Amino acid sequence: MFFHIVLERNMQLHPRHFGPHLRDKLVSKLIKDVEGTCSGRHGFVVAITGVEDVGKGLIREGTGFVTFPVKYQCVVFRPFKGEILEAVVTMVNKMGFFAEAGPVQIFVSNHLIPDDMEFQSGDVPNYTTSDGSVKIQKESEVRLKIIGTRVDATEIFCIGTIKDDFLGVISDPGAAV
Amino acid sequence: MLQPWVREEDLAKALKLHSKQLRRILRFFEEEKLVTRVHRKENAKGTKQHNAAAAAANDGQPVTNKEGEVKVKMHTHSYCCLDYAQICDVIRYRIHRMKKKLKDELDSRNTIQHYICPSCNKRYSAFDALQLVSFTDEYFHCEICNGELVAESDKLASEETGDGDDNGRKRRREKLKDKQQRIEEELKPLVAQLDRVKNLPAPEFGSLQTWERANIGAFPNGDLGAADSSRNSQGQYGTPMPYIGETKFEFYILGDGVKEGAESGKNGSELKVLPPWMIKDGMNLTKEQRGETSNASKFDENSEVKDDKKQDSKDDQSIQEEYIKAYYEALKKKHDEASNKVKTEGDIHISDPQSERQLGKKYKREDEDEGIEWEEQQHTGNTTETYKLADLNAEAQESGDDEDDNEWEDG
Repeated sequence: MFFHIVLERNMQLHPRHFGPHLRDKLVSKLIKDVEGTCSGRHGFVVAITGVEDVGKGLIREGTGFVTFPVKYQCVVFRPFKGEILEAVVTMVNKMGFFAEAGPVQIFVSNHLIPDDMEFQSGDVPNYTTSDGSVKIQKESEVRLKIIGTRVDATEIFCIGTIKDDFLGVISDPGAAV
Repeated sequence: MLQPWVREEDLAKALKLHSKQLRRILRFFEEEKLVTRVHRKENAKGTKQHNAAAAAANDGQPVTNKEGEVKVKMHTHSYCCLDYAQICDVIRYRIHRMKKKLKDELDSRNTIQHYICPSCNKRYSAFDALQLVSFTDEYFHCEICNGELVAESDKLASEETGDGDDNGRKRRREKLKDKQQRIEEELKPLVAQLDRVKNLPAPEFGSLQTWERANIGAFPNGDLGAADSSRNSQGQYGTPMPYIGETKFEFYILGDGVKEGAESGKNGSELKVLPPWMIKDGMNLTKEQRGETSNASKFDENSEVKDDKKQDSKDDQSIQEEYIKAYYEALKKKHDEASNKVKTEGDIHISDPQSERQLGKKYKREDEDEGIEWEEQQHTGNTTETYKLADLNAEAQESGDDEDDNEWEDG
């Protein structure tokens, strides 16, 4: 799920950046450092929407670096257990398939794929129903439900299922029929 | 084991279990909230006080605290008591969790897959899948030995090897369904008991201190402590509990004269009717306490004589019953781990009461010969039957009894 929250961070700035554009340099450094990262607590930081406040800089002893406490608003993405997401399949394996929903990777094991879908290896490994009507292969879009998340300090990984009602393939990749 | 607060050493002696084992079991129960424990540093005086409290409640006889040497050595004594307030809920919750687990396995919903490496036996969960995926072939490989990982199938159903996937799956489902059915049947008496008990208020014994104080106080005054009126009712100072009323029970088989009961009988006192939830499996209660009141004055001499005779045989029985009670509780514990075993244990369990029944029957018959009043009261006993938890025994015997005595059939 996406959230728009206020986060705070201490940014260190090298003295060479001090000058009339100090603030701009600070903000661009912030964006470069934070966008795309993931924290276990907040999730993936997708984009910074604005800087709320820049505090007074503190000069560090010994070096000339200055630390600014910066408060900024950003959009974060954090998956939760029980959430239903659409994802794009990236890899199909005998043990299940991997899908990506934005920055987060989700694994659906074959145990949570409906029983009527069988794995078919080959050039394009895929899962197919017995009558061939539904196919899950690379680049297919699927709707899945997250049944578990593993949150490290800097990484989030999810397990999903498509065995429930209304889950499964949404659309096939353009190439396949 | 009539008193709610029991010293664990006494319990160990009564059950003939090693105290370390008992403590481990009690600790498990405490964590599962079936039992409350209190650890108290006491010197010898303190333990004597507890003894006095227990004795006063049981015998109704004077116990003087010896004011001899007062040892200052402090030992930690542990007391335990059934956690009546929570026990029903705890048990219902456990049963619910067991059933839910089976249901989940059966529907195979939301279970996270685990993988095992056959060579180095390392376990992985599906969360580690990213690190396990190999580009060479389509299986997961172990991080250490690069062996192919095998999916760990449903935990409650065993792995089927050799058969094709379909058959294995089907057999697992069959097994799970079978387990589910067996759980339903075997837990039926327990669930019925819970239903009966759930609307009754839980017995309040108060903390260890209040109970002791009340019991010690009970003796000299002849009056009951407020919190423990129900518990003290075994002595001759019982005041009738308002909500018990006239309930009587046909519990005569299990309980056979216990020391306390016998002694009170000797004193010619009336024993208090124990409320239904107080009666536990393995409690040595006389028929009076189970609700079949006796005309004490008439039967005193007879009961005394009988009591003396029965005393020795009953001692062994009482130990047996308490063992069965603990056994049953261990049974419940084991049920979580493997419901398979329960069936066989249940069989053994039921066969035990058979022997007790013999003795019990004799006892009852002799009484019956003595007086008519017994029968009338026993009749009314049939109308209310609330039994305490863990009464596989009672239920087994009930069926047996009906064959022998028509009078005892349910109204």
